[in-house]
Amino acid sequence: MLQEISPVLVIGGGPGGLEAARTVASLGQPALLVERRHRLGGAPDAEHYAKLTHGFRDAEEAIGELVAAVMGDPLVEVLTGTEVVACAGEAGAFRVTLRHGQETQERLAGAIIVATGFQHFDPGRETQMYNYYSFPDVVTLGDMEAMLKAHQVVRPSNGQPPERVAFIQCVGSRDRQIGNEFCSKVCCGIASKQAIEIKQQLPQARVFIFYIDMRMYGYWENELYWPAQERYKVNYVKGIVSEILPKGDKLLIRGEDTTMSRPMEVTVDLVVLSVGMEPSSGTRQVARMLGLAQNKYGYIEAGGSSGLDPVATSRPGVFVVGAAARPADLDDTFATAGMAAARAVATIRQVAAVR
Amino acid sequence: MSERLSPLSEIREKKGLPVRPDPEAAPRSDLREELFELEARGELLVQRVPEPYVEVTTKFGRVKKVPIDHLWHHKSCGQCGHIPGYTTSILWLNRQFGLDYHDPTDQTSCTGWNYYASATSNAAAQILVMCRNFAAAYETGYYPLIHCGTSYGHYKELREQLVHHADLRDQVRRVLDKLGKPLVVPEEIVHYSEWVHVMRHRIAERQVVDMSSVTACVHPACHYYKIVAEDAIYDPDIYGGQRTATVTALLKALGITVADYSTWFDCCGFGFRHILVQRDFTRSFAVLRKIEVMRDEVDPDMTVTHDTGCVTTLDKSQFAAKAHKRRVGVPVLADSQVAALAMGAHPFRVLQLHWHSTDWRPLLEKLGLDWQRHWQEFEEDLAAIERGEKPGLTWDDAERPALTRERDHRAH
Amino acid sequence: MSATWNPVKGGGAYTEVPDEEKRRLFEEVVADPRYGDFLYGCYECGICVAVCPSARFYDFSPRVIAQALSREDIDRFYEILMDDIWNCAQCFSCVRCPRGNNPGGLVTLIREVAVRHGLERAQQALQGYSRVIYKIMLKGNQVSPDMLQPDFFPDWGPWVREFSQHMHTWRKAIPVDTMRNLTDAAWRTDDRTLRELYVIWFETGNMEVIREVDEGLYELLVELMEEELEAAS
Repeated sequence: MLQEISPVLVIGGGPGGLEAARTVASLGQPALLVERRHRLGGAPDAEHYAKLTHGFRDAEEAIGELVAAVMGDPLVEVLTGTEVVACAGEAGAFRVTLRHGQETQERLAGAIIVATGFQHFDPGRETQMYNYYSFPDVVTLGDMEAMLKAHQVVRPSNGQPPERVAFIQCVGSRDRQIGNEFCSKVCCGIASKQAIEIKQQLPQARVFIFYIDMRMYGYWENELYWPAQERYKVNYVKGIVSEILPKGDKLLIRGEDTTMSRPMEVTVDLVVLSVGMEPSSGTRQVARMLGLAQNKYGYIEAGGSSGLDPVATSRPGVFVVGAAARPADLDDTFATAGMAAARAVATIRQVAAVR
Repeated sequence: MSERLSPLSEIREKKGLPVRPDPEAAPRSDLREELFELEARGELLVQRVPEPYVEVTTKFGRVKKVPIDHLWHHKSCGQCGHIPGYTTSILWLNRQFGLDYHDPTDQTSCTGWNYYASATSNAAAQILVMCRNFAAAYETGYYPLIHCGTSYGHYKELREQLVHHADLRDQVRRVLDKLGKPLVVPEEIVHYSEWVHVMRHRIAERQVVDMSSVTACVHPACHYYKIVAEDAIYDPDIYGGQRTATVTALLKALGITVADYSTWFDCCGFGFRHILVQRDFTRSFAVLRKIEVMRDEVDPDMTVTHDTGCVTTLDKSQFAAKAHKRRVGVPVLADSQVAALAMGAHPFRVLQLHWHSTDWRPLLEKLGLDWQRHWQEFEEDLAAIERGEKPGLTWDDAERPALTRERDHRAH
Repeated sequence: MSATWNPVKGGGAYTEVPDEEKRRLFEEVVADPRYGDFLYGCYECGICVAVCPSARFYDFSPRVIAQALSREDIDRFYEILMDDIWNCAQCFSCVRCPRGNNPGGLVTLIREVAVRHGLERAQQALQGYSRVIYKIMLKGNQVSPDMLQPDFFPDWGPWVREFSQHMHTWRKAIPVDTMRNLTDAAWRTDDRTLRELYVIWFETGNMEVIREVDEGLYELLVELMEEELEAAS
């Protein structure tokens, strides 16, 4: 009987963890949601996301709804400012140690869902010469998201709205020299979304996106890519930028215009680096602590015995959600969250049935 | 959301943080570890960096050892042939610090210039030329310090090929056996500008010429930092750790203003072959992409670089361009020459500036140096040599006090 | 003509050269042990062209070279072999390739093949360069002070004339012992060192390469080198 009311421990209170906790509760099982920060909402909250690609919904509103649902659910216990520091036991009967400030407490859990997510690639590690830490007007997708949310799209150097903005794709991804050989999946969609938002806020601005390939899966093609080109006149140029240098008070970017087969140099006043994803420090920590297999990039390995199970980790009873396992967009995150919730609840009930 | 800073403030805060890469997260394996593994298997010898050495960080945050003393000076053809002040200043600096060094006659060119110009060679021959030089150094007990940027880059890539291809190694070993030489590779391949870099504070301590009125543009050598890119000095305090620190760090230590320009990463246009037999390319590139850009955007008092080919290209390309009314006239110096000058070296006995094509007179005048008097001193040396009174210039001549605080440094 | 990449165009350069010839030379490049270090895949990002100095002045593209080799397009490869490779400045800026390719290195491999086979275009590209090959093979130095003559470097300005007039005295006025008073080489090299260099050239087949580039130069060099080696033994 004790096992039947064992909660599912959800580590991480971002979109993945929130959705997992809510789904666990909707299946009638208690959930214990532990979040390191003092707030819920994960990356969309910490990085002030403006709008989501899903119909350009306001991010704060959408995530806020999810947070409210979880906070209001009687079956979900939420502990913020709390970390999981130790774990023993096995599927059906895990014993975890939680720490909040100086205090620790021991809790039981029947299954564990890891939703510790991603962090952005640090642009200082880029192979190409983007000088993020030297030039105020070179920013990242996260920086731009915050500016869009505040309706304050300006050049950090002088506080003036930019006339020409350039996005550079694949920063920190698809690169053998950096070691992140994978594609981060979301940056093409996010950049196109941001390009549209910039044009909405600054109709006179010219916006360029420099890419290797535009990854516009499914409806991103017709909902983002085509409108960006057709309605908002965003210029997509196939050719990645090799360096950013000062030119007067503007920035000079250099690349090859591969379509026209010639070197190109463009002067712009704001550059947005489409930085990719990496496993977050939380993901690495929790993976180590729980003894979960990780791939060479540090992501938690999923797949299970068939290779087709996107939430199964190397440890029975522990499941992984979203960007803690691979570059993931919100759809991936919600889908795996629901699946992990189902598997977690099933695990607990199977163990209970056996006993 | 209200407790947060405005997006601009947050962005500006982030910018203050320089890059400090974690060596554990380096994407490529450390070649030195592979080298030691080969040594453990008896395949080759590794010559260790002697003490004293200074540790610096390279691109992925790994530590590189730069030796200070007991160096075997691996000379550069282009320097010794056409820019003798370059080599002289490097050795003069060694002598000023009382260091023990070896200037070998048992040394050939790295032959990299020829290889990149004509490809009239092959991997095994190039590796053998390198290993013959390394063995010669090893036999003396002195540690090789590479004077030329081309040699440095070439040796870095050859070392990688040697480590990764067992067949090549066997072929190389067979020929070395014939020559009676061991197969030995130094633990670190060290460029002289890295030596100057780690010595920069000691050089600044002995500075007698105030250079705070001077603005310089740095031209980093392609073969220094682009080949085997992880093996070059990066420092979080210089360019926020995003560009190589070598040369820039020295100039800053000497109080020189280093100005950025929009073609910093461009090659100088040396081309190896082009500068000899297809010179319109080299001239055009050096002037249009480097010198004119520096003139237009910064108008520096000098450009400083750390490679033979770069000094040659930038210095010698400007004359022909003047005939085409291009905006040229930026004196070109090597970092070792600048360091030596700062410490009071004679502009002609040591820096040998009379071998430079672009006009260095305005620069010396700006530094408050009485170059006419020093040229007269040098002409007296030349006259004495022509009269047969002395066979040539000696180190004693070169080390006689030239520039002193009282005589030459005039307050501005 | 290989129909794979050019089915419609009947023209293009070098149509008279048989496919087998083109393929043979291509295979030689691929067979070099370094080939796999220099060419992975290519997603045509253009970074190599962006940073290439030669791409600005010539119709030269390291990206096209990587693509042509990846696709095994022997016709395009042959054009590159004949026309393009001597434009490369060998600066290795292209090593910034995010796939880890080294187009400059591929150019070096293709050049080695061109030179080994004494292709006329290679010989043409190296015309005027024999003086330097002579110096490097025999003296172990690339350049020497006595090469600074107004006829060889006229565009370096009046400084060259001034220098050539004062060369001997100026060369004595250098405090470095290994350089002082030396005009036909950059620094003093031991005879034994040069003999070791000759052994390296012979043992690695390099003299045969020189023969393909300039037969006359080859004869001269071999004579001098063999003389030196015999005298020592």
